[in-house]
Amino acid sequence: MTRPSDRSVLRRPIRRALPLALAIAMGLAGAAAVQADHHEGAVALKAAEQIAYRQSVMSIIGTHMGAIGDLMKHGLAVPGAIETHAKLMAESAALIAPAFRARVTEGATDAKPEIWTDWTKFQTEIAEYEEAANALASAAASGDPAKIGPAMKALGGSCGGCHKPFRKPKEESYKNK
Amino acid sequence: MSVGHHVRVDRRSGSHRAAILALALAFGLVLASGLALHASSARAQAPGSAPDAQAIERGRQVLYATGGCTCHTNYPGEGEAAPALAGGRGLETPFGVFYSTNLTPDRETGLGGWSQADFVRAMREGLSPDGQHYFPVFPYTAFSGLEDGDLRDLWAYLRSLPAVKRENRPPDAPFPFSWRATLAGWKWLNFTPLVFEPAPDRSEAWLRGRYLVNAAAHCGECHTPRTLTGGLDRSRWLAGSRDGPEGELAPNITPDAATGIGEWDAADLVWYLEMGLKPDGDDTQGLMSEVIEHGYANLPRADLEAIAEYLATVPAIGNRVRAAD
Repeated sequence: MTRPSDRSVLRRPIRRALPLALAIAMGLAGAAAVQADHHEGAVALKAAEQIAYRQSVMSIIGTHMGAIGDLMKHGLAVPGAIETHAKLMAESAALIAPAFRARVTEGATDAKPEIWTDWTKFQTEIAEYEEAANALASAAASGDPAKIGPAMKALGGSCGGCHKPFRKPKEESYKNK
Repeated sequence: MSVGHHVRVDRRSGSHRAAILALALAFGLVLASGLALHASSARAQAPGSAPDAQAIERGRQVLYATGGCTCHTNYPGEGEAAPALAGGRGLETPFGVFYSTNLTPDRETGLGGWSQADFVRAMREGLSPDGQHYFPVFPYTAFSGLEDGDLRDLWAYLRSLPAVKRENRPPDAPFPFSWRATLAGWKWLNFTPLVFEPAPDRSEAWLRGRYLVNAAAHCGECHTPRTLTGGLDRSRWLAGSRDGPEGELAPNITPDAATGIGEWDAADLVWYLEMGLKPDGDDTQGLMSEVIEHGYANLPRADLEAIAEYLATVPAIGNRVRAAD
């Protein structure tokens, strides 16, 4: 037994082990990468779900506006309907802030970052929307068309109270890209 | 209602401006040899008598029909406290930023020194009292179709406004778009005074709608795409533009079902112009929300119905308006 052969004996397993170790390392790295991908995917999915929920809340409100419009512009007489829509809209105000609480600005959304940098104003505008919806409910309950028209107009204006500062204009909308 | 007046555009030559004109040619504008700038001419001063209250009130209605001349009030810069019609609002266009002018009767900075004839010429021919061309961001191209009585009433209304002292601002536009002399070429290429063809088989409402849409409300100025020289592309009238004022997208308002407003019925459009709310319940953005609020929403219902009746009959053109990438 000489030192060189000793060395070779010692080295042989190392030479075998090296590729194995490399393979394991690569495998681990790969797995980690997969893990990372999966992790990022999960986050994106969550953001997309939040955006979808926010948009559902907005679309509920818009649909009520559209329905009141249908009743008024075509002169459809559905007893109590405008008042009910308006009350539901006032109630829906409570959905808005919780839906937007998590800051998600990336993805298929027109929400501007100002929502989260000026959260107080955002909430003030929501409160004004709620008030305008309640005012329309009262006007509708009175049955006086001279009150309902302006109240509806004011409620429409309250949409802009939030949309102007906090929603991207159509030029920047993801929908028009 | 036949709107058959024909506007005469005086094209006398002014030799003192010939050099400028030649330079305009060098910028690639095709100019007719007979065309030149309007020489300054003596004019009558504003009559001393105050306009009567009825004319002022009728003029207010004309103002509403134009969309409240909202470009002349600086709402974006100063909010609701902006002095009405005192100008200073920056209008972003593909050719630069142009600032609207002071329409109040201030003698130094507004229209206080103008006569009614000066006002009519500005609206019909795009010329200032001293014969300067106005930048076509001022839609005289449409206003040239306004009836005499409406112009007189609008003038009476403007004269009734409180005078506000506010200097007009020159445009922030690159040469040569900042240069009024090139506008002679622009006019030659792109401006024909608006004259309405007789349409005896159409209803009074349709004729009124045609007048409102094309002259007073000047819908085409934003909603019609423009050519390379900034003229309105008449083959795509009202088919929408991505180069609307203030950099806005102006939607297709022809009756095309897929890309225009063909799915809207007359009641939808009247409701929209009264309330600023679309059929799906969404509100209106940008300059359109202003011209509704300060203008169209205040018109009589019959006028809005007339606009709806007319718009339903313009040629449907497929054109989806999207932002540039």
